[in-house]
Amino acid sequence: MKVKHTLALAVSAVLMCSGPVSAAGATKAKPAKTCLIAGWENPASVCAAHTKVISATCFNCHGSNGKSNSAIPSLAGQEKAYFVTAMKDFRDGKREGITVMQKYALGYTDDEYEAMAEFFAKVK
Amino acid sequence: MAIDRRNFLKFAGAGFATTLTGLAVPQSAFAKAKGGKAKVVIVGAGFGGATCAKYLRLWDRNIEVTLIEANDKFYSCPLSNWVVGGMLPMKDLIKSYDGLRKRGVKMVHDRVVGIDTDKRTVSTQSGSKIPYDHLVLAPGVDFMTDLIEGYAEGEAAGKIVHAWKAGPQTELLRKQLEAMPDGGVFIISSPARPQKCVSGPYERASLAAHYFKQAKPKSKIILLDADVDIISKGPMYRHAWKKMYPGMIEHIPNSRAVKVDHTTMTISTEFEDFKGDVLNVIPRGRAGEICAMAGVRADTAGIWCPVNGVTYESPKTKFVHVLGDAVATNMPKSAHVANNQGKICAGALVEILNGREPDPYPVIGGTSYSATSDHTSGPIAVVMRYDPDKEAYIRQPGGGAAPESDELNFEYMKSWAENIWADTLS
Repeated sequence: MKVKHTLALAVSAVLMCSGPVSAAGATKAKPAKTCLIAGWENPASVCAAHTKVISATCFNCHGSNGKSNSAIPSLAGQEKAYFVTAMKDFRDGKREGITVMQKYALGYTDDEYEAMAEFFAKVK
Repeated sequence: MAIDRRNFLKFAGAGFATTLTGLAVPQSAFAKAKGGKAKVVIVGAGFGGATCAKYLRLWDRNIEVTLIEANDKFYSCPLSNWVVGGMLPMKDLIKSYDGLRKRGVKMVHDRVVGIDTDKRTVSTQSGSKIPYDHLVLAPGVDFMTDLIEGYAEGEAAGKIVHAWKAGPQTELLRKQLEAMPDGGVFIISSPARPQKCVSGPYERASLAAHYFKQAKPKSKIILLDADVDIISKGPMYRHAWKKMYPGMIEHIPNSRAVKVDHTTMTISTEFEDFKGDVLNVIPRGRAGEICAMAGVRADTAGIWCPVNGVTYESPKTKFVHVLGDAVATNMPKSAHVANNQGKICAGALVEILNGREPDPYPVIGGTSYSATSDHTSGPIAVVMRYDPDKEAYIRQPGGGAAPESDELNFEYMKSWAENIWADTLS
C-alpha cells in the first residue's frame, strides 16, 4: 500500500508536468506519452480507457452517467475535490451508516479517485 | 515474464502483433481495414448482453451491434423474490428493449440453433445466418434437471418450479404459495455453489416468511441447502429470521436434493425425505447451451466457460467472448457483476477494434442487496482487481456483507434496481 501512495504522488507530478500551462509566456506542454495504473506505466490511451470503464462501473448504483433520481446519490457534476475527499473519507471509515462505499473505496487507488472525480465533474 | 512483455508493449503502438492479453489484434483490425464496420453479435439480452450492447454503441458508433434474444422483453431476476413475497407484481419487472434500439442496437428476437466458429456465423431458428467479427455469448444458466430424479416430470406437470429465471415460473410459485393452507410447509431446495445468485434462496425464504406472517402464520419454511452453511450473508439472515420470523424458517445444510416426487409432494436428500405443500427445487446450473455450441463451455467439468480476464474472450475459441453467469470465475454470479463485465468487455472490444491495447487492469465491483422483509434489506459488496501477472481477479480488502439488514438499505435496494435497469437498458 505504501508503494501505491508514493506512486500516486508520482502520478500527480507527471500530470502536473504534462498538463497545459496557463502562465503567460510559458512553453507549450507536451501531452503525456505514458501514465500509471496500479504502479505500472501504460500508453495514455490505456489510462483513458481504464478511467472511462471504471467510472462507468459506478453507474449501476449511481445512475447512468452518474445521474440518479432515487435514494443513491448522483455523482454527475460533483465538484472534483469533494469527490476525492468523499472517497478518502469512505476508505478511512469516517462516514456514518452502513453502506457499501467503504468496501468500494478500499478497492481503488488515489490516482483512480482523481481520475473518476475528473470524469464526474465534467458530466452535465 | 509478464513485466518484460509490459515494457516491450509500452511503446509498440498500434502495430503490435499481440496485445498483453494475447488477443490477435491484426485479424480484428483487418475487418476495419476492409472498409466495412466491425460487427459484434451478442446472444442473450440479460444484464450482461444488454449492457455490452449499449456500451459498444455508446463508446463507438462505428461498431455494428446485433443483439439476439428469444424474449421480446427484458425480465429482471433481481427483485423477483419480491413477487414471490407479494410485494410486487411481475409486470413491474418486465422492461422494454426500446432504449437499446434507440442507441442503434439491432435487436433480433429469435433463437440460436447453430454457431459456425470457422465461418464466424450464427444460425437462428427462423433461418437467418448472421455474420460476426466478434461474438459475445451471455445466455445465463441452464438447469441440470436430470441430476434430480423426477424433476422433469414434476416441472412438466406444473407442480415443481425453480423460478430461478424470472417470468411465468415466478408467478406460478407465487400462486402456489397463495393457494397453500395455513399451517402448510413450503420447502426450498438450493444447490451448492457456484450458482447463480447465491443469496437468492435465503432472500426467498425471508420474503415467503414475511408473507406467511401476515396471511398464514402457522405455516413453516424448510430450506434444504446443499451447501455446508448459509453461504451468503449468514449473520444478516439469522438475525433477521430470529427477530422477525422466530420459529418459522428451518435451515438444514448438507442436504442436496436427489429426487422429487410431485405425486406425493416429497423431496428426498441422500439421507431423508421431506414432505411439503409447495416444493421449490432449484437444480444445479451450468452455462447456457449456446456456449457448448461454440465450444467454450470448457472448464474441467464442462459446466462453465473460462475466459480471458481482460477481454472475456474464450481461450478455446477465437473471437468468442462470454459474459455473466456462464463464466467460470471466482466472481459472484449476479446481475451487478454481469453488467460490469459487459462494460469491461465492451471497453476492451472498442480498444481492440480501433487497433489499441485494451486496459490490462480491469476492476470489477460486485454489489448485491437482499431484502429480508418489505422494509429491510442488507448489502454485500466486493471489489476485484485483475492482476495480469497472476491472470486472475483478486478480491480487495474490506469486501463483505453488512451484519444486519435495515431500512436505509431497503431504500438503496430500490434505488439500485431503478439505476441498474436504466444503466443496462437505456
